Amino acid sequence: MSGAAHDRTTAPADDTARARWEEEIAAVPGAAAPRHNRSGIEVRPLYTPDDWDASAYDADLGYPGQPPFTRGIYPSMHRGRRWTQRQLIGLGTPADYNARLRTLLDAGATAISLIPCNSVYRGVDADTVDPLLLGTCGTVINTPQDFADALDGIPIERLSIGLNDPLPFTLLAQLLVEARRRGVPWRDLRGTSNQSDYLSHYVANHMFFRLALPGSRRVLSDAIDFLGREVPHWNPLSVVGQHMQQAGATPAQAMAFTLCTALQVAGDCIARGMDPDAFLPRFTFFYDISISFFEEIAKFRAGRRLWAKLARERLGARDPRSWRFKFHAQTSGVDLTRQQPLNNIARVTAQAIAGLFGGLQSLHTDAYDEVLSTPTEHAARIAIATQNILCEEAGLGDVIDPLGGSFYVESLTDRMEAEIEAVIAEIDAAGGMYAAVEQGLVQRMIGESAMAFQARVESGAQTIVGVNAYLAPDDPGERAPLERPDPERMAAHLERLGRYKAERSGTAVRDADDALARAADDPGANLFAAVVDATAAGLTQGEIVARLRERLGFGQPQAMV
Amino acid sequence: MRRGAVDLEAALGGDRRALARALTAVENETTEGLGLLAALDGRLGRARVIGLTGPPGAGKSTLVGACLGELLARDLRVAVVAVDPSSPYSGGAILGDRLRMERHAADARVFIRSLAARGHLGGLSRSTAWVVDLLDAAAFDVVLVETVGTGQSETEIVDLAQVRAVLCAPGLGDDVQALKSGILEIADLVVVNKADLPGAAETRNQLEAALAIGGRRPPVLATSATRGDGIAGLVDACLAAETAGGRARDPDRRLRHVIARLAGEQARRRLQDDDATGVAGLCAAVRRGELGLDAAARQALATLTD
Amino acid sequence: MNAPAHADVPIKVLVTKVGLDGHDRGSRLVANALRDAGMEVVYTGPWQSIPAVVKLATEEDVDLIGISSLATDHLIVPQLMEALREAGLGDVPVIVGGIVPDADERTLREAGVARVYHPGSALAEIVADVTELCTTPARGVAS
Repeated sequence: MSGAAHDRTTAPADDTARARWEEEIAAVPGAAAPRHNRSGIEVRPLYTPDDWDASAYDADLGYPGQPPFTRGIYPSMHRGRRWTQRQLIGLGTPADYNARLRTLLDAGATAISLIPCNSVYRGVDADTVDPLLLGTCGTVINTPQDFADALDGIPIERLSIGLNDPLPFTLLAQLLVEARRRGVPWRDLRGTSNQSDYLSHYVANHMFFRLALPGSRRVLSDAIDFLGREVPHWNPLSVVGQHMQQAGATPAQAMAFTLCTALQVAGDCIARGMDPDAFLPRFTFFYDISISFFEEIAKFRAGRRLWAKLARERLGARDPRSWRFKFHAQTSGVDLTRQQPLNNIARVTAQAIAGLFGGLQSLHTDAYDEVLSTPTEHAARIAIATQNILCEEAGLGDVIDPLGGSFYVESLTDRMEAEIEAVIAEIDAAGGMYAAVEQGLVQRMIGESAMAFQARVESGAQTIVGVNAYLAPDDPGERAPLERPDPERMAAHLERLGRYKAERSGTAVRDADDALARAADDPGANLFAAVVDATAAGLTQGEIVARLRERLGFGQPQAMV
Repeated sequence: MRRGAVDLEAALGGDRRALARALTAVENETTEGLGLLAALDGRLGRARVIGLTGPPGAGKSTLVGACLGELLARDLRVAVVAVDPSSPYSGGAILGDRLRMERHAADARVFIRSLAARGHLGGLSRSTAWVVDLLDAAAFDVVLVETVGTGQSETEIVDLAQVRAVLCAPGLGDDVQALKSGILEIADLVVVNKADLPGAAETRNQLEAALAIGGRRPPVLATSATRGDGIAGLVDACLAAETAGGRARDPDRRLRHVIARLAGEQARRRLQDDDATGVAGLCAAVRRGELGLDAAARQALATLTD
Repeated sequence: MNAPAHADVPIKVLVTKVGLDGHDRGSRLVANALRDAGMEVVYTGPWQSIPAVVKLATEEDVDLIGISSLATDHLIVPQLMEALREAGLGDVPVIVGGIVPDADERTLREAGVARVYHPGSALAEIVADVTELCTTPARGVAS
C-alpha cells in the first residue's frame, strides 16, 4: 500500500498560498504544535493533496466488495442492508432474560445476543457461587433446560444469534441441543461464538479464560472443524480486539494483535490439514471503538486492507470471501465517565459514528450508565435509539465509505497501516501470537500503553470532560435507578437447577462424563463434538469445564504487572 | 503504621497473626524484632530449609506451588518465603510470587510470606535468614525459600538452606550460560523444569556437561510444574539425608552464618559509633599512607575484645 | 508520583480481586502506582475467595487492603469486612475501586470500607490516600 504517500516530495500546486497559510497558522498560539493520536501517530493541522496519492486509488482503495476492500467488504454496504444492531444483554434468571429479549426485539433489535452470568464465564455452576453475585452482569445459564427457558418462544432459526461463549463453547452446545429438541436443522442456525479468542482472554480478560493455553488451542481447532461440517452458517471464531484495547492497547496495537491471532488460529487449522478457504469465510473480528474518532475510522479501513493481503499472501486463501474482514464493534466503555453520566450519550454517539464510517457489519452501542452499574433497561433503550437516529435521521447508511478520499483519512489510514504492520513484525519476531502471549510480550506492550495513557490523563495532556476539565457538580438525578436480579426469582431458579441435577439419569451422566474424559485424553478425538454429546446427556457447563480442566489443565493466566 | 506489639509465645504457638507480626518486626529489623532472635535459642534447626534459585522464567514460583501440593500430601507443615526485587528508583516492589502458589495457599498447613529484597544483593533480603529462623522456630516442618531469581550472584542461599536446588528450563538461552559459570556450583540438586517443552533434553545435557567439568555430580531432575511431573521425586530428593549434594553438611553452618552476621552488625555499629575504640587513630594512619585498609580492619576488630 | 512515605520501612499493601470478574487493568495500574510511590505491593490474581484474602492479609501482615471490582463483585465486600474483623484484622483499612453504584457505595462505607474509588479517580489521589491511611495512627475502621 502507499504507506509512503505522506512523504511525497512533489511540489504543491500553489506554493505561495501554502506558505501564507503556514505563516498564518504559526501565528496562532498552539495551533501548529505537534499533536498525537493514541497510536502515537502525529496529527497535523491540515492535510492536502500532498498527503494522499490519488493515483493509487485502484490499488489502495478500489471499489466496495472488491479487494483490497478498503472501502468496504460488500458492494452495497449499509445502503443495501443496514448494519446489525446487536445489543448484548443478560441479567438475572433465564426467564428474566426471555422477558428482556422480547422487549428488545419489539424495540427493533434485529439480532439476539446472550451474555451469561460471570459465574458461567468462570465455568462454575450457580449452586457453587455466592447468590449475591448471581445474574448481576449476565444470565445464569448452566444447563440445556436453562437455555431452553431463556430462548422460549424465540425463533432461533430466523435470527442471528451472538453467544458470549468462551471455549469449550458450552452455550453453543446447549443451542445445538435445543435446536435438535425443536427439530430445527443445525444448518439453519446463524450466528457467532463471540468469546472464542482464548489468546485475548489470556492476555486481557482472565474471566473468560477457562482452559490452559494448549487445551484452548486444541478445542478451538476442533470446534472450527466440527462446525464447518455440521453447522455451516455458524461463525466459530470472533477474534477479539476489544479486551486488549480496553486493557490499554492502542488502536494500532489492538488491530495488529487481532490480525496476528487470526493468522495463528488459521495456521493451526491449516497445520491439521484444513483448507483455508473452508474456514476463513467464517472468521469474524470484534473491536472496541474508542472516542479517538478519525483514528478509529483509519484503524478499521487499514485493518480491512491488511487482512485481505495477509489472508491471500500468508495463508494462501484463494476465495475472495476468505479475504473479507467482517467485524462487530462495540463503543468503548472505558471512555465513558461516571461524572455527569448523561454526557456518555454524546460519547457513544461519536464512537458509533466512527464505527459506521469505519464500515462495521454489526454494532453494539453502550448504555450511558455502564460505568455506574449493569445497564438498566431505560439506558439500553436509548442506546438502541442512538443507532436508529444515526441510520434513519442522520442518513449515515446512505453513502458507502463517505470519508474515502479525504486527504486526512486516507493519509491516516496509510500511517495506521504502517504502524499496525510494525507491531505485527514484532509479534512475528517473537514466533507468532501464541508464542508472544506465552512469553508475556503482548501483556507487556499493553501494560506500557495503559500506563502511558493514564499518565496523559493525570497530567491533563488528555482532556476528559467532567473528569479533569469542565468539572461540574454531580447531579444524582442523572443516574438511573439500580437494577438487580430479584432474589426470590433467583432462589426459585436455584431450586429448579437443583431439581434438574437430581432428576437426571445418573448412568447417562456418568457415561457421558467418562466419554468426555476419554475424548480429552485422546488427541485424535474431536473435543467439541464430545462437549455437545455431554451436554445432550445432561451435563451442566460447570461439570464439563471442570472435567476438561482436570484433563487439560487450567493454567491461570500470568498477571503481568 | 499499624505495627502492633509482638507476642512471641503466641507466634511460635500457632497464632498466625502473631507470627505474621513477629515476622514483620524481624523483617524490619526493629529492636523488638531483633530482640526476638535471642529467644529463639534452642528452638532452631528442626525445619528442613530448602532453597530454590534460578533465572527468571525458569518457573520457580510455579514449582514451589507444585511442591506445596506434594508436601501437604505427606502431611507436612510448610512455610514459604518468596523474595522479589525492589525497584532501585522508588524502593517499592510488586510481590507477585504467591500468585502461582494459589492452589494450596488456602491450606491451613501452609504459611506464605513475601519479602522485598530492599536493595540487598545476593538473591535474598537482608533479613531473610531471620525470617527463616522464626518460621523454623514456629515448628514448620519445611521452609521453602525462593530467591529473587536475577542470576548468578544469588549465592546467599548457600548459607541459609540445607538443600539448595538450582532451577533451569529450556528456552532460556544465555541464562544457561550464566548458570554454568555461577550458581550451579552451589547446587545440591539441579532441576530442569518445563521438561515437557522442546529443548529440555538439550538443556539437561548442557547442565550435566557443565557439572562434569566441575567434578561434581549433584542429581539432575526433570520436572513439569504445570503438569505435576517429577514433583514427587524432587520432594523426595529435598527431604533426603543431609548429604543431598554429595558433601557432608555441617548442621551448625547456617547458625554460624547468622551469628557471624549478627557479630558483624554489632561490630560495625560499635566501630562506627563509639569514639573509644581508637578507630580515629586508624583513619589517620590510613590517610598518612602508613596502614593498608585490611590491616586497619584487623586492628579495629582487635580493639573489640572486651 | 509521591515520595515514599517512610524512607526506612515501606508501606505494605495487598491489591486483589474477589468474586468472579477477571478484568485487571485497574488493579494493575493501582499496583504499579503504589510500587512507584515506594510501597511493597502483594499482588494476586482475580477470583480470590474471602477466606483466601483473610489468610493472605494475615500472613503478609499488610497495612492496607485494596479491592478492585469491575462487575458487581463489590457486593461481597461487606462479608469480607466481617471476616477480617473476626480474624482480628479489623484495624486494617480496606479500600475499593471499580464500578460501584451510589447505593452500593453507601453500603460499603457502612460496612467499614475506608474509601471507594470510581472510574476517573486519579492514581495520585489513591496513592495519597493510601499513604495517609497507613501512616495515621488508629485510622483503621475497627470497632
